[in-house]
Amino acid sequence: MTTVMLVDDSATMLMSLKSILTKAGYTVETAGHGKEALDKLGKGLKPNLIISDVNMPQMDGITFVREARKSPGMRFTPMLMLTTESEQSKRAEAKTAGATGWLVKPVGPDQLLGVIKQVLPGA
Amino acid sequence: MNPLLAQFLAEANDLLASVDDGLLQLERNPGDPELVNEVFRAAHTFKGSSGLFDFPELTRLTHAAEDLLDAVRGGRLALDSGMADDLLAAFDLIRGWLAHVTAHERLPATAGQDAAGLITKLRAPLGGETVATDQGQEPSAVRRIDPPPEWLAPLGTEWLIETAAWLSTTASTLRFVRYLPDQDCFFRAEDPLHLVRQVPGLDRMTVIRPEQWPPREEYDEYACLLSFVVATRASTGELEYLFRYVPDQISIVELDGAAINRHLEGEEAEDLETVPAAAPDALHVDARLAADARAVLTAAHRTLAVGEPTGTQLLALIGSVTSAALALGVPLDLTGADREAVNAAVEGVLGRAPIEPAATPPAVDHPVLAALAAPPAATPAGAPADLPAARADDPGGQVGTRVLKVDQEKVDRLMELVGELNVAKNGLTFLAAAAEEEFGSRALSRRIKDQYSGMHRIAEELQAAVMDVRMLPLSVAFGRFPRLVRDLSRRLGKTIELVTEGDDTMADKDVIEALGDPLVHLVRNSLDHGIETSDERIAAGKPGTARLTLAAVADGDAVLVEVSDDGRGVDPMRVKRKAYEKGLISEEELESLSDTEAVDLVFRAGFSTADQISDLSGRGVGMDAVRASVEKLGGTVTMRSELGSGTVTRLRLPLSMAVTQVMVVSVAGQRFGVPVDLVVETVRVPAAEMGRVLHQDVVVMRGEVVPVIDLARALQMPWAPDDSRDRAVLIVSVNGQRVGLLVEQFHREVDVILKPMEGLLAYADEFSGTALLGDGLVLLVLNLKEVLGLAARAA
Amino acid sequence: MPLELHDENASLIGVVTVDEVEQLVGWLRSSQRPRVSLRRCNHLHTGALQALLLFRPKISAAPKDAFLAAQVLPLLTGAGGDTSRQGNEPP
Repeated sequence: MTTVMLVDDSATMLMSLKSILTKAGYTVETAGHGKEALDKLGKGLKPNLIISDVNMPQMDGITFVREARKSPGMRFTPMLMLTTESEQSKRAEAKTAGATGWLVKPVGPDQLLGVIKQVLPGA
Repeated sequence: MNPLLAQFLAEANDLLASVDDGLLQLERNPGDPELVNEVFRAAHTFKGSSGLFDFPELTRLTHAAEDLLDAVRGGRLALDSGMADDLLAAFDLIRGWLAHVTAHERLPATAGQDAAGLITKLRAPLGGETVATDQGQEPSAVRRIDPPPEWLAPLGTEWLIETAAWLSTTASTLRFVRYLPDQDCFFRAEDPLHLVRQVPGLDRMTVIRPEQWPPREEYDEYACLLSFVVATRASTGELEYLFRYVPDQISIVELDGAAINRHLEGEEAEDLETVPAAAPDALHVDARLAADARAVLTAAHRTLAVGEPTGTQLLALIGSVTSAALALGVPLDLTGADREAVNAAVEGVLGRAPIEPAATPPAVDHPVLAALAAPPAATPAGAPADLPAARADDPGGQVGTRVLKVDQEKVDRLMELVGELNVAKNGLTFLAAAAEEEFGSRALSRRIKDQYSGMHRIAEELQAAVMDVRMLPLSVAFGRFPRLVRDLSRRLGKTIELVTEGDDTMADKDVIEALGDPLVHLVRNSLDHGIETSDERIAAGKPGTARLTLAAVADGDAVLVEVSDDGRGVDPMRVKRKAYEKGLISEEELESLSDTEAVDLVFRAGFSTADQISDLSGRGVGMDAVRASVEKLGGTVTMRSELGSGTVTRLRLPLSMAVTQVMVVSVAGQRFGVPVDLVVETVRVPAAEMGRVLHQDVVVMRGEVVPVIDLARALQMPWAPDDSRDRAVLIVSVNGQRVGLLVEQFHREVDVILKPMEGLLAYADEFSGTALLGDGLVLLVLNLKEVLGLAARAA
Repeated sequence: MPLELHDENASLIGVVTVDEVEQLVGWLRSSQRPRVSLRRCNHLHTGALQALLLFRPKISAAPKDAFLAAQVLPLLTGAGGDTSRQGNEPP
């Protein structure tokens, strides 16, 4: 069973991504911002993949990724950033922080599932 | 023939079969991307290889087919049955050409003409004749050819030369990617190998190892030290998308044949230095292999020190020494060398005169040793051309075993030699008899017999080993049926699903080959007579699609092959009436025959139930021919049928037909063989006890009356039994019936290699083959069924 | 479990991820004559491939996975060298 953690402050975004993933057979965990997500990881949640927005209150996505990499068992977990077309510079920054790749909003099912397949062997 | 061409022709067969097979499956599942890919790959490989030879028509035609398939693969076209027909026709034409190439080493003169129409047809769905190869893949008409980068070298000089040649022939290009992952890329959850395996149209991948591995104890398993060079048909755009998260780690170039050649010309000398791995495998010394080779040499050295091997023993020793030295990178020529010379050579290679007993590894039974003891399979120079790579795709195959594609003739030759060995071995029993009878030495006779039994065991093992090489899967025999069934069912307007089971059952290649015609007969019969049209089926409450099953299963030393359909079945009443009308059965039998017996009538000569002879199976295709050919193989055929729900025809064949045990008998001074499995017993009956019932000689055995056939009379040989001696009667079982054969004398049982009858005797049905005997005489082996028929006619 | 490790024999099963690499390397370090079966392996993380290339265990069974069989296996079984004989047919 593959668990995906979604981190986004937009409930609509969370809902749309969650419905795509659930239909495709993934288990989904959600968090509204980076802090909440880190808390969940701290409590022992071990998702197989994390998808996080960049701009969020409390803790932005890039800081979250940098911190999440330090969580136990998260060293090698694929992490994808949700970016807009204009956030080119953020992508490089995210890579340096430890992100695996990115998705460009709006995210459709094909793009989402295709990227997961690309970064998650056996998914 | 040029070995490369021979290899191509051998490979072409497999490729054409998988193209055919794939296309047929594709028609049923048009959307299946895996299937499209498979067919495309086969066609693509085929084109690639064809480009190596001067067969421009072949390359053009396969190119057109490949482009069409590529469009289907890319989703730009949907495959319809018209296209499938054209593609199948193209590959049929190619198959015909290759037969011509096999015989004449060139294409038929009409090739260009034959291909032209098909090429136009194949190109039509793509928008007509076009020169562009990657049409549709890249919108830009002008292709950008990059300067060749130096990092092509790890792809290997040989591969680059071949690739440049075909790129030039087809005026096409390939994309090359170099991927240098960051050392810490694992910590961003990147998996370079996983990314590389997603490269579409991957043609070749090489992994570049670090020039210097870190010491094992300091090795950091999370530092990525590998990099990759990949050749692919994917477009630059596809590649850029795939590698979009690691753009700084990759370089992509697009190259044509000329660009690769520039690379080869400019940097070849350097390549050889920087990429020692591109050298032929045989020169590379693996540590474990080297240890084993050294063990062989040490053992040889010891043998030379303690014993005095001569003759074949010395030859065998020289063989293993040469192989072991070669494995260590030291080619030796010890042809005709004597013991001292071999010893000197061994010491030279080992680099030390005395033996260190402790250094002798205990692994004398290590498989590598066995491999080394065999004659060298590869010489450095011959390796690339003569030795196909290990079949890594061989499912479950033991890794490290090299699979050789061996010419069938060579295996046949080996089998013949085994046969001759058997014959020579059998000669010893004659010699033993002679020692006792002619020279009166019982002791010598016994020693010869001892020697014989030793040789017998080795010969048996050798024979089993060679037979094993000859084993082929039934899929070889089943392979042609998807196409046959498709074509015939289209012509007949019937919808038929073909199911094959047990394709991986193995049988001797002769059996597989001989099985072909009977199977075609049976399948055609099913299609033609057994299976109804969809309308008829639906009216009868059956599914519209009929099901035809070809199944094989091993059963001891036999293989069972079943052809079954869910068609209308055989009507026993109708069969009986037909048989009666044709005078095959009597009025009495018309009444008394059971349904099972009635169904069996279809195997009688001259029987055909079809009211009108169709052009499919009407041409002399009788079930009697099927039975005859199966029985010629030493098999049986039976049919079960249920009216309205289908027919099952079962063939039972020996797994191998290469060696037959025969009982030798003689009449009128001439010896004949009778297959041992038919022999029940041999009896000697006082002449007075022979009986006669209704003009038929009989002998009463344990209360059973057994008819006795005079073999000499049946074969029209001048011989009459001597009334003063007991009659020698060989009791055989034919078709479940016991029959006695009156012969002059019994001899021994021998193992023989049965050869089919040739020349004038080919039409003599009373013999199933010939075999060479130990004393050099040719033995005719009787086909007892025919002999009994002859006797019945003579009576 | 993607790794089945015994004294001298190991089976890699399914998808071998980076999480298994450490354990695999530990086993390769400690084993005298390691033998690895890839029969049921569908994918190897680059780190696992790298470890196999460095420690060169004997491959006791070929992978069924087409990509691994065609492109990766020759790297692990051949007498060595970056160029594999497999898949060297011109495109």
